[in-house]
Amino acid sequence: MKAERIQAKPMTSISEIKEPLWEVIDLVKRYPGVVANDHVSLKLFEGSIHGLLGENGCGKSTLIKMLSGVQPPDAGRIRCRGEDVQLHSPTDARAKGIATVFQEFSIVPSLTVAENIFLGRLPTGKFGGVDWAAMNREAKAVLAEMEVDLDPEDITGDLSVAEQQLVEIAKALASDASMIILDEPTAALGLSEIDHLHKLLRRMRENGCAILYVSHRLDEVERIVDEVTILRGGQVVRASGETEISVDNIVAAMIGEDVGEHYPKTNNSREEIVLEARGLTTAKGVSDASFSVQAGEVLGLGGVLGSGRTEIALGLFGVDPLLAGELKIHGKPVKIKSPMDAIRAGMALVSENRKFDGLFPNFAAGGNITAAGLSSITRAGFLHLATEDKVTAEYIRKLEISPQADSKTINLLSGGNQQKVILARWLFCNADILIFDEPTQGIDVGAKLAVYRLINELTAQGKSIILISSDHDELLAMSDRIATVQHGTVIGITKASELSHVDLVKASSDEATHKLQESAA
Amino acid sequence: MKRIFDAQLLGPAIALIVIATLVALTTDRFLNPGNLSNLSLQVSIVALIAIGSTIVIITAGIDLSAGSMVALLTMLLAEMLKFMGLPLPLAILLVLGCGLTLGLTNGVLTAYLRIPSFITTLAGLIAFRGLALLFNNGSPIFSLDPNLEPLFYGSLLGIPLPFYYLVFFYGLAAVVMNYSKLGREIYAIGGNPSAAALSGINVRRVQTYAFAIAGFMTAVGAILMSARLNSGSPNYGQTLELQAIAAAVVGGASLAGGRGNVLATLIGSLTIVVVQNALNLNAVPTSVQNIVLGMIILAAVGVDMWRNELSSKISALFSLSSTKQRGA
Repeated sequence: MKAERIQAKPMTSISEIKEPLWEVIDLVKRYPGVVANDHVSLKLFEGSIHGLLGENGCGKSTLIKMLSGVQPPDAGRIRCRGEDVQLHSPTDARAKGIATVFQEFSIVPSLTVAENIFLGRLPTGKFGGVDWAAMNREAKAVLAEMEVDLDPEDITGDLSVAEQQLVEIAKALASDASMIILDEPTAALGLSEIDHLHKLLRRMRENGCAILYVSHRLDEVERIVDEVTILRGGQVVRASGETEISVDNIVAAMIGEDVGEHYPKTNNSREEIVLEARGLTTAKGVSDASFSVQAGEVLGLGGVLGSGRTEIALGLFGVDPLLAGELKIHGKPVKIKSPMDAIRAGMALVSENRKFDGLFPNFAAGGNITAAGLSSITRAGFLHLATEDKVTAEYIRKLEISPQADSKTINLLSGGNQQKVILARWLFCNADILIFDEPTQGIDVGAKLAVYRLINELTAQGKSIILISSDHDELLAMSDRIATVQHGTVIGITKASELSHVDLVKASSDEATHKLQESAA
Repeated sequence: MKRIFDAQLLGPAIALIVIATLVALTTDRFLNPGNLSNLSLQVSIVALIAIGSTIVIITAGIDLSAGSMVALLTMLLAEMLKFMGLPLPLAILLVLGCGLTLGLTNGVLTAYLRIPSFITTLAGLIAFRGLALLFNNGSPIFSLDPNLEPLFYGSLLGIPLPFYYLVFFYGLAAVVMNYSKLGREIYAIGGNPSAAALSGINVRRVQTYAFAIAGFMTAVGAILMSARLNSGSPNYGQTLELQAIAAAVVGGASLAGGRGNVLATLIGSLTIVVVQNALNLNAVPTSVQNIVLGMIILAAVGVDMWRNELSSKISALFSLSSTKQRGA
């Protein structure tokens, strides 16, 4: 098996032999405060499976969105068979031969398999009506070619997730695409289904498709892809042919050499226990999680996406009601049934999704900062607005927020400024236990440093922080201890200094393998 | 004061001035003192109800039930005065209480039972008028208390009373929306309900209050409607809810929630009434007037959409330039 794998991976790039079918040249995409794609180039060849890899936030999703016509690039070119192509919309991209199988399926559950496969281009008969017979016949042919045993007339919503995934792929195949993009296609699949998918991909490769394959499961990447491009911080760090395709090499390239240089961590942890959680269980993915947080400590929660880290935060903060378990703050048992209770108990939650769960886009900085502490500036039902103005001016100065924040609504500010305003909201509440869920996601380096300095300052004051981050470097560098979360429970707590980045990545992929075995069983 | 008279008033005010000038230039009787006084009487009912509509719209909800609720409440008032012989002040208090209760019901159904407000108040739109028909075999009730009419037609210091109602209720609403905790929370839940909940704001309660306020203001409008016509009728208030919503939207309230200004809604109400008045003075038939009202609503919502698009374009430009600055 191993020998065969190595044979299948030529070290020289195919580019020396053939002209690329699709080519991406110097694509640039900026979002407020961050350059998501910084001159990304890659070549896709006929009959080749190209792995696109990198850690969360490296710019993979952005690249895929641009290639599938969801977002236009700010600069750069996309070429097909040597000619420049503009992709104006997802429909346009599809018409030009790019089929994308997104992580979130784009199937319509209430329609049949065949209807989904031909959605948007149903075959028409003599009088302009849909030729149902032809549609079902052609759908059957596509499914047969895939060796998938599905009835074209089944309702798609009744199928298993894996089968729905196959319908998605059938849709891509039936559209005669010359480039097929698969974004985490195996996330929902079991072992045998993955095998089936891989067989299918190899056949598509023989038929001359160019396949762009995105996955976090490095072991399967190693098995299936012909070449890899690795992104880090929006840039290509390893172009095709520059990396030997093995898990260890890929991990090294993904992580990068410059680990641990920008983290000004100070240790302020004290013995005194501030928060103690025992057997926390919620209906939404937390089961029997126990841990404690000390004064001045940063407790990092490690684990992969969907392991239950965010869900633990939501349980602590009273968003998801606790079904079981007990919570003690400063040794006293507390009942937290709503975010209101949590705030009263001295907790704060900087949520993962700034836009959906954090910002009031209709307010300037002032309204955003005081939102969680309105009572403290209210007298007899009325707000003391002079205090609000004063407090706002103070935080704008202290956290170096753009002075425009004072008058402009917050949706007009950069991600970094927005995040600082939200941090100010919880500083204004004077919380003792702050939960930071992905606090530096999508913000620039300067703002990240400000967040780290703030963490140090807060812990120096004896406040405790629960840090959730998919940025492993950040998590390792800024935490005092790391609780590893799997399946909604804490499987172990280790001193951060005793862990390495490789340990964390390995633990994550261990879980992926674990899930795999579970679904196979 | 800067907070109350903010830039949001500017656009609607300019629109009103332009329209009023056009009307004044084309219709000679428009500027007659008699007509202007009539105009202020005409605007008062819509404008008072529009306070509630605006507040509900700011919470990202909608109240379609106001017009039918007016019909029901005028019938209730008429029933109390004519057949139950209740004294006027008590009857007025009871009708205000009924309006508040009906609004609370809309609010509870929307906030706690999580039925979209479009549906709860659509049900109200249909059901309240049906309820109104249950009184007096569905016939209007005329000649109510002799002290009722002066509430609408009376004047103080030479100024019609409805003017004072407008000043009082708009003043109160502006202060509550801009200076009170409740006002801030109403804007917050409309801007981002999820962020509001995570900030410890009781989203459902605030939503319910907004509908209760709307019910109360509808009752105020209903009492004035009864006073104006000295009667109650199950046919009163038709399309009033739409005029009130149109007033809010013409005044710049965003149907997406979180944005709106009650004083701008007063300007919006005036704009609509001025247009209606101009059509009346030029003897335009009711059918065409309805067509025009439809167009106004369409244009106002259209402007609302374009404005959102425009401001997002501006913000995109802004964020791009700020990234560039940082890069440099």
